[in-house]
Amino acid sequence: MIYLNAVVTRNFTAAELPGAVRAALGKPLRRAATLTQLAVVGALAGLPPERRHLPTALLWQTTSGPRNETLNLLAEVCNGPAEPMPYDFLATQPAIAAAQLKPFLPGLQSATCLPLADETAAHWSLLLCLADNWLSAGRYAQILCAQLDHASDSASGHWLALSAAPLENSLASLQLTGTSPENGVPDTCDFPAHLSRWLAVDNSASLLLQSAAGQVPAVEFART
Amino acid sequence: MSRPVYIADRTLLCAAGNSPTAVSSALWAGECTAGRRRLGERDFPYFAMKLAEASWLARAEQAIHLLAAQLGKFDEKTPLFIASSSFQIGYFEELGAPFELPAANAQFSRQLADWLGLSGPCYSFSNACTSGFSALDAARSLISAGQIDAAIVLGVELANNSTLAGFAAMELLSRTTARPFDVRRDGLVLGEAVGAVRLSAKPATWRIAGLRTGLDAYSTTGPDPDGGPIAALMADCLQEANMPASEIELVKLQAAGSPGTDLAEANALRRVFRERMPPLLSLKPYLGHTLGASGIAELVALLACLDAEQIPATAGFAESDPEIAMKPTVVRSNTYIERALLQLIGFGGGLASLIIERRQ
Repeated sequence: MIYLNAVVTRNFTAAELPGAVRAALGKPLRRAATLTQLAVVGALAGLPPERRHLPTALLWQTTSGPRNETLNLLAEVCNGPAEPMPYDFLATQPAIAAAQLKPFLPGLQSATCLPLADETAAHWSLLLCLADNWLSAGRYAQILCAQLDHASDSASGHWLALSAAPLENSLASLQLTGTSPENGVPDTCDFPAHLSRWLAVDNSASLLLQSAAGQVPAVEFART
Repeated sequence: MSRPVYIADRTLLCAAGNSPTAVSSALWAGECTAGRRRLGERDFPYFAMKLAEASWLARAEQAIHLLAAQLGKFDEKTPLFIASSSFQIGYFEELGAPFELPAANAQFSRQLADWLGLSGPCYSFSNACTSGFSALDAARSLISAGQIDAAIVLGVELANNSTLAGFAAMELLSRTTARPFDVRRDGLVLGEAVGAVRLSAKPATWRIAGLRTGLDAYSTTGPDPDGGPIAALMADCLQEANMPASEIELVKLQAAGSPGTDLAEANALRRVFRERMPPLLSLKPYLGHTLGASGIAELVALLACLDAEQIPATAGFAESDPEIAMKPTVVRSNTYIERALLQLIGFGGGLASLIIERRQ
């Protein structure tokens, strides 16, 4: 059994995001791609300062990926003088977000990016299943599961902060169930919204996240 | 529940050959000739797969069909874990402007699954050069916990100018050849590959004894030259494998001939192995650096060499760098290896260590 400590959702217009980064860090994050900025804002919102040194893994998925940056890169490579600006190329590499996040989250030990193949389906069940396996094995003290996306005029980040041990203010416990229940919440991009609603207004004792393909176990959230 | 995870089947297409056996034979023979790939006014050495098709998409399909044919029979519902750093960007280059990117950035993964004949769950991983071991880590975690019984882990990196241009713009590419740990090393030589392993809970010859992914945030383009984060990850991996460093009989290096990364890796190896350094082998002079596919491609190539008991010499190495003060294997060997460590050090700070062990 593992524990859910925070559900964080952040939506920004393109103009708002740099301001949110400045507010979180007290300074701008220079030469950072949109996904990196989203990663920094969300991770710091999900983990209080006293927990940022603990061994942490980040598992994040993205539908958009670095879309705008990739379009810029393609334009430079295909229509320009063949070699792009180095920072435009760097911005297309999602792995770089973790390296730029680590100075603000010193306990970050590993980060994995999962680009999504479908506009609506998500891999929350896989991320939570891996989190359960790794936290239960003692590999990390806490794991952040996230979905980060951006378009030309907007950006969004959805975050679940999980730990191996319960905290005083843990929101729910999680456990994997062997079968994928038919009445579970589907594994889609808006799962965090379902979870937030369940935590805020639904009186039912548990919430089940159903794996999209039915092979990864379902995840049962129960109120603590 | 925690059960052993085995590497059941493997397959590989790369510049060195179109099957694991062909690749191991080429490596044993010391064959490592790169072609050239033009980029504006410059050209660079490049390790391209030998395929008949010319257009990007047809070439990708041909590669995956050849791969699937070698992989043998598998359940069409087997979960698929795909590792790539560039997916189908070469296809968009070929189509040209206006660039019509799909709404979901890994949509190409569905195409790859279709070509493989798989209709089960499909997950994609994009962690630059460590993508392959990230995918492997996720798959083996689910198998180990009893949540799935088998998985196919596919590494895919296909030729494109965007990646080549990106590395070229940062002056990270050699204009001649990859020289791992050599005093004259001057950069990477890129390549393309598709490789796959089928992981299973059913016993097979090779077992994953340890696997850890890590992060070195020293710089977005290179690791801490001191090697501390790399050494710490190797130590974690050895601890998971419950194995002292002295039991590692061979290290498959990341070493791609990059001035900074090779130095960091050497310093890390010295911290972990001290005076008992095992033989060190780099495969990149034979395959090129295949980025997101490199983890799986080099794993399959190494296993083919180990099964054949033919450990190649590291090509491209001639003279030790006094700062590195260690050298990779320079002579071939027929040593029977039971335990090997594989290293990945990624662009963007990703690290990964894998220990494989032969079943007793």
